[in-house]
Amino acid sequence: MSQSDTATTRPAEVVVETRNLSKVYRDFWGRSKKTALKPLDLDVRRGEIFGLLGPNGAGKTTTLKLLLGLIFPTSGEALVFGRPATDVSKNERIGYLPEESYLYKFLDAEETLDFYGRLFGMDPEERRRRAAALIEMVGLSRDRKRQLREYSKGMTRRIGVAQALINDPELVILDEPTSGLDPIGTREMKDLIIDLKARGKTVIMCSHLLADVEDVCDRIAVLHQGELKELGRVEELLRVTGVTQIRATGLSPAAAADVRAVLERHGAADIDIGNPRTTLEDLFLEVVRDTEARPGRRARRPDAASSRVE
Amino acid sequence: MVLEEQIPSFAAWIGPALLRYLASAGIATLLVALVAWLVQAVGNGPLAAGDRVYRGLLAGLADVLAISPRRVWALARLAIQESLRRNVLVVLAVFALILLFAGWFLDPASVNPGRLYVGFILAATNLLVCLVTLVLAVFSLPADIKSRAIQTVTTKPVRTAEIVLGRILGFAVVGTCLLALMGISGWAFVVRSVSHGHTLEARDLFSLPDVDAGQAGSEGRTSLDRGHRHRVVLDGRGDGMAETAQGHRHRVTVTGTSESGERSFAVGEPIGLLEARRPLRGTLRFLDREGRAATKGISVGAEWGYRQFIEGGTAAAAIWTFEGITPEEFPEGLPLEMIVRVFRTYKGDIEEGIHGTIQVRNPTSSLRSESLPIVAREFTIDSLLIPRRINTVLAEGGLQEVDLFRDLVSDGRIEVWLQCLEPAQYYGVAQADFYLRAGDGSFVTNYAKSCLGIWFSMLIGTALGVMFSTFLSGPVALVAALAMLLIGQFREFIARLFTSQVTGDSSIVPGGGPIESLYRIVTQTSITLELDPTPAVQAMKVIDTVLLAPMRLAAGIFPSLSSLGTSDFLAGGFDIPGDLLAAHAAETAGYVLAFFIAGVFCLKAREIAS
Repeated sequence: MSQSDTATTRPAEVVVETRNLSKVYRDFWGRSKKTALKPLDLDVRRGEIFGLLGPNGAGKTTTLKLLLGLIFPTSGEALVFGRPATDVSKNERIGYLPEESYLYKFLDAEETLDFYGRLFGMDPEERRRRAAALIEMVGLSRDRKRQLREYSKGMTRRIGVAQALINDPELVILDEPTSGLDPIGTREMKDLIIDLKARGKTVIMCSHLLADVEDVCDRIAVLHQGELKELGRVEELLRVTGVTQIRATGLSPAAAADVRAVLERHGAADIDIGNPRTTLEDLFLEVVRDTEARPGRRARRPDAASSRVE
Repeated sequence: MVLEEQIPSFAAWIGPALLRYLASAGIATLLVALVAWLVQAVGNGPLAAGDRVYRGLLAGLADVLAISPRRVWALARLAIQESLRRNVLVVLAVFALILLFAGWFLDPASVNPGRLYVGFILAATNLLVCLVTLVLAVFSLPADIKSRAIQTVTTKPVRTAEIVLGRILGFAVVGTCLLALMGISGWAFVVRSVSHGHTLEARDLFSLPDVDAGQAGSEGRTSLDRGHRHRVVLDGRGDGMAETAQGHRHRVTVTGTSESGERSFAVGEPIGLLEARRPLRGTLRFLDREGRAATKGISVGAEWGYRQFIEGGTAAAAIWTFEGITPEEFPEGLPLEMIVRVFRTYKGDIEEGIHGTIQVRNPTSSLRSESLPIVAREFTIDSLLIPRRINTVLAEGGLQEVDLFRDLVSDGRIEVWLQCLEPAQYYGVAQADFYLRAGDGSFVTNYAKSCLGIWFSMLIGTALGVMFSTFLSGPVALVAALAMLLIGQFREFIARLFTSQVTGDSSIVPGGGPIESLYRIVTQTSITLELDPTPAVQAMKVIDTVLLAPMRLAAGIFPSLSSLGTSDFLAGGFDIPGDLLAAHAAETAGYVLAFFIAGVFCLKAREIAS
């Protein structure tokens, strides 16, 4: 499949590049067991959020592991910052959050960040400063002295994010970043990803949660059975051509009827005028925020219209 | 103590050892590269396979050379934290328990309690430290790979070599701390356990004439403590020694005299229990019963031919030649110490030792001293001071007093002749059994040196465990490491067995290789019985040789931890030679380096996230 990037601006520096990258898992005797990834060509450019989307077993995590040099390609090559993925020095500029936050359970949050900071050769003062800031950022200040074995899944995920950012990386690779998080955590994670982009970082994430990918990604690649099925900018891929959407606030029923009449006069078909639905995520977040703002009182029914003012 | 081979000087040892090491490492590298090339060639063709192997070797070497001490220490700290959080210190409680049981069950009345306690404590320390670090080492990395925590490490700028070295270093630090704690408590236990005194009262003594001082001395026995008492001989002033019993003596001093004129005595701490003798050893040759030179003594049928025997009442003699004898080193004379074993062809008076003589001779002029009588008491080290002024036997039969160093030492060399006087009784000796006591080292230093031997074993075990854990799961890695150490343990036997198999000389190791041994077990055939050379037996021997060849090869390069042990020296009361320690240190460094590099390549070749 050819690349369909139609960005009008001058293409930014390519951070990640794969050429004919494929992976076949073999058994002990070298017999082919599973084709996890068929030849894949991808470019990820500096400053974008790139999403790998696909059902379970589509080859998303395999692709990330190949980019990280955790597994070796059967054919083709993966370049990160222009270097082979197996080159350790590229890791200086990478932050990685694995699928399950695989961390050392016998360490506490501070020790964890101190350990990973040491692996980057950071000096003690810088390690302390970064660790404190990241623990604060992921909201684990009160639990920083507890061993990770006592952490809930969400807390483990948060410390996982903190370790991925300990070196202030240029490229952040997130494997299922919202898995195991509650809606608030999910929103915070998405805000964090967008914030990373705002700070000029490149983010590659994979997820099978479509809403998450849609909310944050600039470009996505859809994988299925190890094969690239779709690649492009999110808004272009999701744009429904032939349908026009008009949104407004403060429209009276009479005005709405007028609008309908105008549309009909111009030959429009399948006209739908009504109140849009909010998302369950937005509803949930609204309820939680309201409860926190007015403790002990029943949450107010959020006004869907006002919450969707554009 | 038994010393089957002479300890070479480090300078003489290191050259050939280094050559052997480099040759083994080179052959092993070539073999591994060949196997890797064959495996790669199956899927990728010979040229691409060669390219991959070459790149792999280069990448591995680059990895080893680009190690960052900071990251290694970070990973070592992690290994230490992991060990502590896994309650490794429980092993100290186990050690304390062992000390407790040792206190209860080790017999302080044994022949040589010092040897017993030291040997036991060092063996327990060795076992615990090596086992704990080996278990930690083999299970750590596989657990990380299984829990995938390793993925968050390898996606940082960490080289494979740093992961392997960090693990080795971390567990080595844990092992070192355990060893230090156990070593110190073990030392305190040994010193406290062997320390004892006796009481000696005036009524236990009876007077005897003291010829030298011309006044009455006294003789008697101390109280019975720890299952033994000492015969005491005191001079006229009341000072003297409690004679050797259970490998030690005590100094006796007068502490006061009562109004009735009765003396009170103090018996000091044991002397000779915890010592570090520095022996100057010589070379041994024999004369047969007719007085002709012989390379060996008589075998009395002992299967282990360490000691050779000389027949009593004949011209047979065991002759040691000592070199480097100077009056500066031995100003008082030559302090000869000896262990003489006895083989009796008739029982005689079993309470009495077997009588013999010692002579010293000038190796050039054959001038010889008068015969100095000895009585061989088995299992104890007898000492004899050969004085500076000594009588020599003149050709015409008279005696003449000469200076030991001027007349009997030639170019720093002197001969010591041992002969047995009693007909039909035999003296058994080995080269290491006679030595000149050139001085004493400190027991504490010697104990520390022995702990250093345990430390070497621990380092090798740790590196070996980490190496196997890079490509095997924890339990399998543990079995593999133990199997390797076991083969190393029996490396000399395997070497002899292989020689026996190849040369067909069944006297070296009777019974044949594994298949032949199995056949003999099943058919209940004695190992000394030669099998008829039927085609089936011939085929069996060929299969045995094929099976033994890789074992022989493996045995040649696998480490033998017991050979690094120096507790025999310590328990026997001998200073551990620096040359031996240096050789062991070099051997350890060689093994650790080899296991480290092998571990790096194994981990590098592995997809740890697959």
